[in-house]
This record gives sequence, C-alpha cells and structure tokens, in this order.
Amino acid sequence: MERMIVSMQDPDMGIKMRNQRLLITVIPHAMTGNDIVEWLIQKYAISEEESLHLGDLLVKHGYIYPLRDPRSLVLRADDSPYRFQTPYFWTSSKWPATELDYAIYLAKKNIRKQGDLIDHEKDNYNQLHKRINHTWDFVVMQAREQLRAAKRRRKGDRIVIDCQEQAYWLVNRPPPGALNVMEHGPERRNCHTSRVQLPKNVDYYKREMESCRKAMGRTRVKSSICLEGYIKFNEQYVPHDPIMSGCLPSNPWITDDTTYWAMNAPTVTPPTKLRVERWAFSFSELLGDVLGRQQLLEFLKKEFSAENLSFWEACEELRYGEQTRIAHFVDSIYQQFLAPGATRWVNIDSKTMERTLEGIKTPHRYVMDDAQMHIYMLMKKDSYPRFLKSDLYRNLLAEAVVPPETKKRVFPFMRKQRHSSPSPALLLPAGE
Amino acid sequence: MVKEECKALLDALSRVTACYRHMVLTIGGTSDSQNLREELKKTRQKAQELAVANRNKLTAVLKDKAVSKEDKAEFERLWVIFSTCMEILEIDMRRALELGQEFPLNVPRKHLIQTGMSGGTSGVAARAMSVQNMKYEAEHNIDVVDLKDLENEINQVGEMMYEMEMKVNVPQWTVEAKQDPGAELKSTISVGASSIGMISVEENKSFCDISKVLAGIIFSAVLIVAIVLAVCVVKLS
Repeated sequence: MERMIVSMQDPDMGIKMRNQRLLITVIPHAMTGNDIVEWLIQKYAISEEESLHLGDLLVKHGYIYPLRDPRSLVLRADDSPYRFQTPYFWTSSKWPATELDYAIYLAKKNIRKQGDLIDHEKDNYNQLHKRINHTWDFVVMQAREQLRAAKRRRKGDRIVIDCQEQAYWLVNRPPPGALNVMEHGPERRNCHTSRVQLPKNVDYYKREMESCRKAMGRTRVKSSICLEGYIKFNEQYVPHDPIMSGCLPSNPWITDDTTYWAMNAPTVTPPTKLRVERWAFSFSELLGDVLGRQQLLEFLKKEFSAENLSFWEACEELRYGEQTRIAHFVDSIYQQFLAPGATRWVNIDSKTMERTLEGIKTPHRYVMDDAQMHIYMLMKKDSYPRFLKSDLYRNLLAEAVVPPETKKRVFPFMRKQRHSSPSPALLLPAGE
Repeated sequence: MVKEECKALLDALSRVTACYRHMVLTIGGTSDSQNLREELKKTRQKAQELAVANRNKLTAVLKDKAVSKEDKAEFERLWVIFSTCMEILEIDMRRALELGQEFPLNVPRKHLIQTGMSGGTSGVAARAMSVQNMKYEAEHNIDVVDLKDLENEINQVGEMMYEMEMKVNVPQWTVEAKQDPGAELKSTISVGASSIGMISVEENKSFCDISKVLAGIIFSAVLIVAIVLAVCVVKLS
C-alpha cells in the first residue's frame, strides 16, 4: 500500500491536487474521491468496482482520510475531499499504537473540548487512568506540552495536524461497533524476523544436502494406516470419558455427590477398574498415574530392574527442577546411577554413556536426555509388556473396584435427585 | 531545593520530547526539508543532554539514604515520569531513523507525501532549543549524513535506559499519580484556539479574536470621533 501511496505523489503521473477552502484558510493537497478512483483505474488497468474497493481499503487502513465526514472511513467516488496521511501515522505492525499515546491524545482532546468527549472516549479515558495510573502525571504534562508546541505552527498546519491525529486514532481505536481494521487472528510467528541468517557457504549446503538425504530415507507409513491407528487409539478411550459415557457413581456437577472424585484420587487403595484398564493403553499412561508408577516400581523390584525407573525419575527431577540445584542433581545422578561401581548402576549402551559423561562436565538441564530416553525405551519395550502380562497386574484388575451407580429415588419430588448423568452427547444423535 | 531543580529539569525534558514528537510527525510530508532534519538533530541532542542531567540528579537523590519517606515517594514518582519520557523519546528516535531512511530528500525519484502541510517547524524547534530564532548551518545533505549519528544515539539511549533499569530499583506500580482524571481541564492555558476545522463546521476562534480586536479599535475610534464632535459642538454653540 505504501508504494502505491508514494507513486500517487508523482507530480506528473500522480493524482492532481486541489486546494481545500475553509473559512479563511486555504489548505493545499486535497483530492476528490473521484480522482482517486480514476487514477487507480488508469494506473493498474482495473475495473471501476475493483478500483473503488482498493481505494476503500486504502482509506480503511488509514493511508488516506476523508475531510468532510471524518468518522466514516469510506471512499466515495464523488467529489468528497480526501487527503494523504503523514508517514508517521501510517498503519504498521512494527509500531503499534500504544496506550500511552492514546492517553495523551485523549488528554489533549479533553483540554481542547473542555471535557466534552464522546462516550466511548470517556470510558477509554477512565480505563486508561486506572491502567497506566503510574504515568498519568506524565500524560497530562506531555499533553499540555504537545498543545503548546502545536501553537507554534501556522493555522493551516494546525488544522491538518488535528485532522491527521483524529484519523489515526479512528483507525487504531475505532468506536465500539465499527469495523476494526487492526484486528488480526491469533498471533502467527513471523518467520522472517525469527530466522537467523546463516552464511550460505559450502558447509551450509553440505548440511542441507545431508538432511534432505536423511529425509528421503525415512520410513514412511501411508496416511490412511496412520489415521486408522490414531482413531483406534482414541476410540479406546470412549468408555473412559465422563462426558461421552457418563461417569459412575454419578457426575458430581449434577448430583453434588463427590464420591467420583474421592474414588479417583491420586493415591487411593482400591483403584477403579477403568483406571487400571487405562494403564494398558500406553506406557505414558502408566507412568503418568501415581498409583501406576508405584505398581510398576513394585513389579520392577521383583525383576531386579527397579533402578531404571529410579533413574528415569531422577532425570525428570533434573529436567524440571530448580536452576540452582542442577549441578547438585547431576552430581547425585552420576554418583548413584552412572559411575562405574555405583550402587544402582543402569545399563546404558556405550555411545550414550560416553556422550553423557562428556556432557556432565558442563552440566545443564538436559544433559541426561539421551540416557533418559534410552532407559525409557528400554522400559517400554521390555518391562512394560511383561508388566501387563504379570500376575501383579492381573490381581490389580481383579481387585479393582467398579463404583456402584447411585440408586434412583422412587419419589420424584425428593430434593436430591441422585442419578448417573445422562450423557448429553449420546442424546443428540438419538434425537436427530 | 533539589526537588524544584529536578522538577524543572523534567519539565524541560518533557517540553523537548513534545517538540521532537511534533517534528517527527512531519518527516516525509511536504514540509519536510533539510532544515527539518537539522532541527531534529539539534533537538535530539538537546534532549539527550537533558536526559543525562536528569538521570544524574535523580539517581543521586534516590541513592541517598538520608531522604525522608514522602520525599522518596515524590522522587520515585519523578523517576517514573522520567523513564516514561525516555521510552517515548527512544521510540520517536527509532521512527525518525526509519522514516529518514524511507524518505531521503535529494533523490529526485522519491516524492514526498502531499500531506497538506505548508509551513515550517522552525517555531517548534525554537521552543525546544529555548532560543528566539533558529540558525541553520548544516550542509545540504544532512538527511543522509545524520542517519549514522542517529543510529549511534539510539544505541546510546538504549544502553542508558538499560543501565537505569538495572541500577535504580523503583517498581512502577507503587507510584500513584497526583492528578485525577480531568485534571488537565483545570489548567489556565487556553488552547481552544486550534480546533478541528471542517468545511461545514468552522470555529475560527483566533480569527474571531483578530476580528474582535479590529472591532474594538473601530468602535473606540468612532467613539473618539463622536466625543470630539460633541466637544466641538459644545464649544461652537
């Protein structure tokens, strides 16, 4: 848009300027809406409708502002006058309109109009006074100074400056209900600013080629198979979802009966059956549940491989622990698990061990990542299937509790209706 | 008194900042010129001097342990005002750099935006520099030459602000403003002179002032003539 505006300024090829006549002052550089539309048609060889739309966009984004009816930012293809906005006030996401500036503008307007602000401006003014209260003195000071500085200019320029500022704030803080051009969707990271510019030398291209080759060699799975697997994984959760399948004994939000939460507390001795069943879905489910982890530890102790789980837990503690204690954690992990002849030595392959020992010399939060991942995969592939087939787990399943559904009261006019909540999601397809 | 000095320095800095903002507004428009660029340079150098003076004074006071509690609160308030002023100054300097690069003045193919401004900003600059008239003595390509200096000065200001943050620990949320909403209306400055002039609604108050003065003069002249005539009539009769 900016290039378009600049090309409009060309004294030969640009738009013909007229003068705006106010009562006694004459201000140059005004143009009619018709001029703009004609120029756009001529320069870009587009239809009138498109040119009107394009010009309208220019007005809505604040590059051109109307002089006769400043509050309606519309391009009219007749002789209504418009003027260009000064580059300082061009819409830019690099320089968003700040609250401080808006506060100064409102304070200036307040002084000029002797307290007669429009409703939404009054609201904004009071809000800003609360929000940036600590710099409010500065706002008042600066508003006064800016007005005094403006008095040093010619009358015509002063009018233009006022118009410009008003147009700028109409675009950036539109009155409620008006179209807000500045609205944009959720913040998308601008890839151009965050990418570091690497020098494009031989090494860089070699690395690019290597990574492309590796990418080609990766095993691929058909997306249909992938999606089937994904759907299957998610469908097994359906009976576990309180919204989809109702929850026993009853939904606490409906019946005010908190048994459900009590029975599913993190450490409760007979766990519910659904919970124990969930441990069979994936290893992360088992590890994520406190009870599950305890049971796994019991099992591993019997198998004499409990140090794996302890090592994994210690690494988690390192990853998510306090910055100041990182050195301490790394040291204790090394002493307990990795040093040759340690009490709970874990079995890691030699390459990972070498790398980890190197990394320990400069300890940081993620030095143990390789080793931790290795142990995790070991547990997942080796211990976990055995756990699921073990007697320990089968006993747990047998002993697990299925909470009874709370009985329905016979008399309908009893105050507390305790019943398992009808699943609202299932009602809908039935009703269709 | 230290407080009065600090306040005076801060007022001066605020004034210069407002003038600088005013001038940056006109970059790229039709009243842009080499003079404007020179004014910008001088104003921002003045602003930096004032900023350094302010900072030195305020840090000296805030580090002084012998200051009473109310005084300390007052100085913290001044400090918050000062740091906000510096933020605005830094942003304006960055924008001046960007706009200066966008709109170089001596390139024939780059046209300035016809914003409707026709007068110069020398009055504003004179106010900023506290002089009667501005003298222009720079070369004719100051718009390009100055940009390098501007970059350096922006870096300097950035460093200064970082140092300020690190050395002085004044949490902004503990400062309460002295002014209530609407405090600016109680000032005695009459700024109703410049209002937004639309084609249909015109409130030319300053014009009315001139016409009022003219009307007054004419009226008093007529009155004097009438009195003289009456005296002549009385004398002759």
